[in-house]
Amino acid sequence: MTNLLGKRYTCDECDAQLMVVKAGDGTLTCHGQPMGEVAAKQLPSSD
Amino acid sequence: MNLAVLLTMAADALGDRGAISGGGHHLSYRDLRDAAADFATTLPVEASAVVYAGPITAATPIALFGAAWAGCSFAPLNYRLPQDALIPLATALAPAQVVAAADRFESLAEALPSGRLDEDLLIAPCAVPTNDPVEAPSRPAVLLYTSGTSAAPKVAALGHDNLLSYIWNTVELAAAGEEEAALVAVPSFHIAGIAALLSNVYAGRRIVPMASFSAERWLRSARDEKITHAFLVPTMLARIVECAQAHPELERPDLRVLSYGGARMPLPVLEAALQLFPMTSFVNAYGLTETSSTVALLSPEDHRRARDGDDVARRRLGSVGRAIPGIEIEVVDDAGVALAHESEGRLRIRGSQVGGTYLDGTAALGDDGWLLTGDRGRIDPDGYVWVLGREDDVVIRGGENITPAEIEDALLRHPDIAQSAVVGLPDVQWGEQIAAAVVLRGGRALSAHEVRAHVQATIGTFKTPTTVAFVTELPMTPSGKVLRRVVRERLLAQVIGEADRR
Repeated sequence: MTNLLGKRYTCDECDAQLMVVKAGDGTLTCHGQPMGEVAAKQLPSSD
Repeated sequence: MNLAVLLTMAADALGDRGAISGGGHHLSYRDLRDAAADFATTLPVEASAVVYAGPITAATPIALFGAAWAGCSFAPLNYRLPQDALIPLATALAPAQVVAAADRFESLAEALPSGRLDEDLLIAPCAVPTNDPVEAPSRPAVLLYTSGTSAAPKVAALGHDNLLSYIWNTVELAAAGEEEAALVAVPSFHIAGIAALLSNVYAGRRIVPMASFSAERWLRSARDEKITHAFLVPTMLARIVECAQAHPELERPDLRVLSYGGARMPLPVLEAALQLFPMTSFVNAYGLTETSSTVALLSPEDHRRARDGDDVARRRLGSVGRAIPGIEIEVVDDAGVALAHESEGRLRIRGSQVGGTYLDGTAALGDDGWLLTGDRGRIDPDGYVWVLGREDDVVIRGGENITPAEIEDALLRHPDIAQSAVVGLPDVQWGEQIAAAVVLRGGRALSAHEVRAHVQATIGTFKTPTTVAFVTELPMTPSGKVLRRVVRERLLAQVIGEADRR
């Protein structure tokens, strides 16, 4: 499984958040579970 | 984590896409990363900061990301200051590497002998870096002098984590389309300039730096460079509106998003701008140097509803909108107790993007992590935040708190008045009296009596200035904030002078 650059992942159990700063293979796990991808935020550009 | 990771991510994701173009230079994301990494290797080991004294150019993001890469603080200075004012600001940051525009670096290099670099030397083709950004930088990422409108300026320290938290909470990597371009006209020594560089690089939006602002040049650049996004401080937008109204033959750029902030936007200017750019989405951003830029924003949807005539939305044009993700905003009383909706008090802010310290070691935050902004405000039941002005600027007349903003807006509604600043002056009878410095539009003439009559008819006698002084210009910071302490000193001198002559 490929982890996508710039995507956030989170753990359902402990709310830990993770940012992928370098793309790579493997499965991100936390508390023994694969972490879920967090949906992208839609915020208007303010600067 | 190092702030430079924003650039390495953008380079990995976007590679050859244009990152910045200006002054004849065109750098891709990969070029920008390579130049920043290369600059990092040239920094002397003893340097703790990179002092940057020059306008915003293609060299600015190289110095910003390059300093971060090496674990040095990026410390941009107001390069327009006279030499004798600039040098103490620079030496306070020693030991540092100086990067300066050609006309500035001789004297700066003398004051800071550890190193100097003409900014042009930064923009040269570089090999792919072999060095990685310093992993856990211990120094702040950015050092910024605060505006100092009501007190002496301080150096706010923003950590790598503060700035990363801001970008990661508000921007998606490479979310911008390939055709998007941002005109950056705010200088790098303003937090909005830093934020513009960081967020546009991370979003993948080509940056077009504008070293020296004029309304006409801005309108031309926006058209010629096919600008889609821009940030302006209120004085810049006011000049653009005036220029576009005076020259209807100048084409209006087809902007998608125009964001503004840095100082309070006068409502009459905003209303004129909304009419002038009917297809553009507007965003009002509120933030402080200490908060790594934006903490609240008034959205394009809010502006659109106001433009369509919705009464609630029209009133909300006077607000700064709602807190962004990851930020809490509260209104508290003088004892620090949180107040209910609609109550007026001191605004405070909490969140991971808020910087915790100043360079002199003083803490910016209370024990509970809140930053007192120094602004007075209130929050409505829907979470819209109203910034009423700096606490220090409130005029207390006969025990009543009066914020200058309302009076300044009333003054600006007069067609002959271009700018105004309202301050409090000592008064025997009332404790303080209201005094206004007024700049008239070119070729217009008004008497103090006519100005007073206009304010009286608009907002009533109690808030009408006792003293009205006509001036040719207001003293301002480069970001368009009125230097009220200077206005106050000048008006006071004038009032005392008049009393002496009587």
